[in-house]
Amino acid sequence: MGAYVVRRMIAAVILLLIVTAATFVVFFLVPRLAGATPEDLASRYVGRTASPAVIHQIAVKLGFTDPIWVQYGRFVKGLVLGADYSTGPTTVHCPAPCFGYSFLTQNPVLPDLLDRLPVTMSLAAGGAAIWLVAGVSTGVISALRRGSVFDRAAMGVALAGVSLPIFFTGLLALAIFSYWLGITAPGGSYVPIQENPLRWAYSLLLPWITLAFLYAAAYARLTRAGMLDTMGEDFIRTARAKGLPERTVVLKHGLRSALTPILTIFGLDLGLLLGGAILTESTYSLPGIGKYSVDAVVNNDLPKVLGVVLVGSIFIIAANLVVDLLYAVVDPRVRT
Amino acid sequence: MTTKRRAAALAALAALVLVACGGPGTGGANSGVLGGIHNPSDTRGGTLRYANSGDWDSLDPADTYYGYSWNFARLYGRALVMFKPAPGAQGATLVPDLAESLGRSSDDAKSWTYTLRPGVKFDDGTPVTSKDVKYAVERSLDKTTFPNGPTYFNDVLDLQGYTSPYADPDPDKLGLKAIETPDDRTIVFHLRKPFSGFDYLAQIPATMPVPRAKDTGSKYKEHVVSTGPYLFQTNELGKRFTMVRNPQWDPATDPNRHPLPDTITVDLNVNADDIDNRLLAGDLDVAIEGSGVGPSAQGRILGDQGLRASTDSALVARLWYTAINPDVAPLDNIHCRKAVLYAADRVGYQRAYGGGTGGEIATNLLPPVIPGAQRFDLYPSPKHLGDIAKAKDELAQCGQPNGFTTGISYRAERPKEKATAEALQQSLARAGIKLEIKPYPLADYLKLYAGKPDYAKANNLGLIVYGWGADWPDGYGFLAQIVDSRVIRSTGGNSNLGIKDPAIDQMLDQALVTADTAAREQIWLGIDRKVMEDAFVLPGVWAKGLLYRPPNLTNVFISDGFQMYDYLTLGTTRR
Amino acid sequence: MPGMSGQGREGTAIQGRSLWQIAWGRLKRDRVALAGGGVVVGLMLVAIFAPVIVAVLGHPPLEFHYDKIDPDLQVPRGHFGGISPDFLFGAEPVNGRDVFSRVVYGSRISLLIAFLATLLSVLLGTVAGVIAGYFGGWIDTLISRTMDVFLAFPLLLFAIALAGVVPDRAFGLAGDTLRIALMVFIIGFFSWPYIGRIIRGQALSLREREFIDAARSLGARSPRILFTEMLPNLAAPILIYSTLLIPTNILFEAALSFLSVGVRPPTPTWGGMLSEATHWFQIAPNFMLFPGLAIFITVLAFNLFGDGLRDALDPRSR
Repeated sequence: MGAYVVRRMIAAVILLLIVTAATFVVFFLVPRLAGATPEDLASRYVGRTASPAVIHQIAVKLGFTDPIWVQYGRFVKGLVLGADYSTGPTTVHCPAPCFGYSFLTQNPVLPDLLDRLPVTMSLAAGGAAIWLVAGVSTGVISALRRGSVFDRAAMGVALAGVSLPIFFTGLLALAIFSYWLGITAPGGSYVPIQENPLRWAYSLLLPWITLAFLYAAAYARLTRAGMLDTMGEDFIRTARAKGLPERTVVLKHGLRSALTPILTIFGLDLGLLLGGAILTESTYSLPGIGKYSVDAVVNNDLPKVLGVVLVGSIFIIAANLVVDLLYAVVDPRVRT
Repeated sequence: MTTKRRAAALAALAALVLVACGGPGTGGANSGVLGGIHNPSDTRGGTLRYANSGDWDSLDPADTYYGYSWNFARLYGRALVMFKPAPGAQGATLVPDLAESLGRSSDDAKSWTYTLRPGVKFDDGTPVTSKDVKYAVERSLDKTTFPNGPTYFNDVLDLQGYTSPYADPDPDKLGLKAIETPDDRTIVFHLRKPFSGFDYLAQIPATMPVPRAKDTGSKYKEHVVSTGPYLFQTNELGKRFTMVRNPQWDPATDPNRHPLPDTITVDLNVNADDIDNRLLAGDLDVAIEGSGVGPSAQGRILGDQGLRASTDSALVARLWYTAINPDVAPLDNIHCRKAVLYAADRVGYQRAYGGGTGGEIATNLLPPVIPGAQRFDLYPSPKHLGDIAKAKDELAQCGQPNGFTTGISYRAERPKEKATAEALQQSLARAGIKLEIKPYPLADYLKLYAGKPDYAKANNLGLIVYGWGADWPDGYGFLAQIVDSRVIRSTGGNSNLGIKDPAIDQMLDQALVTADTAAREQIWLGIDRKVMEDAFVLPGVWAKGLLYRPPNLTNVFISDGFQMYDYLTLGTTRR
Repeated sequence: MPGMSGQGREGTAIQGRSLWQIAWGRLKRDRVALAGGGVVVGLMLVAIFAPVIVAVLGHPPLEFHYDKIDPDLQVPRGHFGGISPDFLFGAEPVNGRDVFSRVVYGSRISLLIAFLATLLSVLLGTVAGVIAGYFGGWIDTLISRTMDVFLAFPLLLFAIALAGVVPDRAFGLAGDTLRIALMVFIIGFFSWPYIGRIIRGQALSLREREFIDAARSLGARSPRILFTEMLPNLAAPILIYSTLLIPTNILFEAALSFLSVGVRPPTPTWGGMLSEATHWFQIAPNFMLFPGLAIFITVLAFNLFGDGLRDALDPRSR
């Protein structure tokens, strides 16, 4: 088992390096293909009074004139050892792990990301709790009462749920609940949990529900299908034949085995949540990583984009790793 | 000595012109009821809550170039002079702040002297000296460290090659020869060429003193040392900051400020529509950008008499316009440029900015709120809807009888500019001028795209949607950065998007040595007319902002200096 | 598993009907799926005949109608965004464009990009999946690891970043054509591993089956086996996942347009309309509602049809 874990960890790190390298290549090549010179890139970071000579000097200083692998090497080195950046006369040290340094806002990227992480975490945690509970319970009830009015209605809503884009449900929810009925917080009113837990929950209620609606729908469908499969299996029949109460059969035997694949998917979905966070945070203007990444893209702030891609990839790869390791614990055959 | 009187005359005249222009909302003076002040009060206490839909360029006084920021900076910093915190036209007059009096100039207006008030301290208790002011101006010259601020001091001071205190061999980092500090209370500026309006430069936040011991270059914005009535209690960049009273600020040294709230909070990067909703819900007191509410809130407010009564319409010294780029063929031909001016539907332009609430249809450059401005229309059309026959006639003279195709750029994050581009695409098509719409990211619009001559030319950006607000309400403050061809830099970052006429440059130079205000205003008018004759600019809208005033806000008025609520005087009844 | 090995060859004598016939029989009885399919066909017709529909029921999608707009508020006059027989979905704020026409034209962009992107990712995914699954060994390892890399990308972020930096003119394309090609490339190129993984799994299990062995022992060469033996047997999963990928791609395109990196104005897109509606939805709800509903109905229809198709072709999943 230990060897397996080490092997998987190494694979994850290599994967991460490849992903960042690919990101690096794409974002450094595309502007150059579009005809931007290193001086063009540097000119964004100097004042309006700079002469071409000064701009060239800055481009050299920032390393924009170096070949791409040198620049990537510097990025990786910064990750491991930290880096020093200086646009002007002052030098800023970016301690390891240095996720890059934004020349536009003149600050390292990592503190920014860590600063916004709690918002995205809050969104993800609340949303995930709601969708897991709502989705799984709906799925179980639907499966048990297959064909009933509840089943049909729930599955209808679930299908609608997976067909609705977050930025439409979000706007619709804002229009109805915040502006028309006035019972939920308007967009952009995020309050940190340490400041006021109640207002924190109030400000996130609508985003949670919006995000959860999409996923709950998918989970309800998955749980229902899983439960229907399991409840037809032999061991359930055996359990019933042994005279166990139906409640025990369903919850202890049926749900447990139906839940395993759901939890797998849950792990992977959490890793992929950045995509959902981008749209939810944009719609509700929450100051999280998603909004940050959109702002970074809009401002063409490459180091920030790279930093967010790195964080996003870390989440995905970590989620995959955790899921794989859990699988290995459950099923030793996987460890090959 | 004569200059002081001249400045006073200028101020008086400005007041006169503004008052003559008419009552609230119609143009001219931004004055409301009750001597111009809503909800007058001198009750102290409470928390005043601001929100910003974006973020400051920087809180560092050396590195900021937004009107709202200059307005707000007076809460935590004292420049040599300042706009008087008073309603309407009075707000556009300059009064001494850190200095005892306005600048005293030499007879040739090439050197300016200020004497500091005694007893002013930084928030750590250190006394402020003229060297702190000099150091502050010096560091503002370093546009690599502080790229956002204006470049006026770079342009007018006799730098003799000085670039930055950070590269200064002088042990005290005070090596700039253009500024002298003969003693701790006296500061003298030496200019490259005469500049009769130097007091306007002395009100720029760059003259707010900075203690060298606390200067951390580009990181100073995180811990700005205050000289004003408030200091930073917390400062989370990009998110929010809180200010509380500065115990070291002594009202005896400051006749202009009467700060009311105990605490000021500012939320950053809040969605603009949400700011409006929170304002209307009483969840927020001021939208700090002062550019007026968005379309949704405008609809709600105008449809409700009660809400409507709590608004002010601020006539802003800002022109939304579209530059006609003479680098791009066939717009290098004046007749093709004139065709654009005739074909454009100005009503559509105005609608893009929110109709009559968003501003008045502009027919020339200088916004009416600027002293001496006059309206004229060289390209008249019935009801401003455009004159297609005239446009086609100009096209024929240009040798393009069937029209032509060119690009129109706008800033992608600005829905109103997008609406402008789409509206112009429709209205110019009537004359056969076809437009390809090209959005660019706001952040790099001037630096890499529309404001970079090579790029604009290569990418066929014949029309460039843009807007410009006066740095201060005066012809120079409005025109200098957009019509002077000598400020166009091939490296990009230009705000002059293609106005190139030596005659205009010459008039600008002449204005700077013209001492008489009325004569100077005539020159500004002449420049305005010349730009229109050359057909370099399609004027769109002289902006107005619909400002909402929550009921708990006290001491509210619009200052003509900033054309928004004066942030120095605001108070709140909310406890 | 009689259904899977169908397509004549073996088992024909027992069944007498092909997989496709059985599936069609099942699909015919699934009224919900048929309704979804009907809507899908209808939407395609709308997209194809958009100019005709708009000529009869609306106004040109780029035409301004200032007379429909209240000059003070900049919102359409009349109830609920000015809905009338003349303007079925009301007018757009500020410029009075016909929302109905823009929604109809929006379907073209939406469906075109979704179809082409799906085609691209299915092509890439199938080729990669079949090769990986059939050959195994280091080829499989290489392709599978490549897929891992793609799946580890924060897709949406990458897409908006990429779509944001591509210039006006590139690869000999410009304007809408360039943006559409770009969207197709981004969406298609980054989502092929999802289908690739599934096809690889299927190919892996097919490889072990007798009829492939038989073909191999008869001396058939790899390309022949791939195309004549494997692909026909993979047709069902490919079809199912293509149908289910289309709605995902429609949502993806809408998200990119919503984040202002899609096809450029003034060309109407559903996501783009929603993005503009964020400034207006409190006072002109029609402008948000109709493009949103268009996305919803389209995606729902594809999902219903895709679900039905899967149930029909692969009854185990029911």
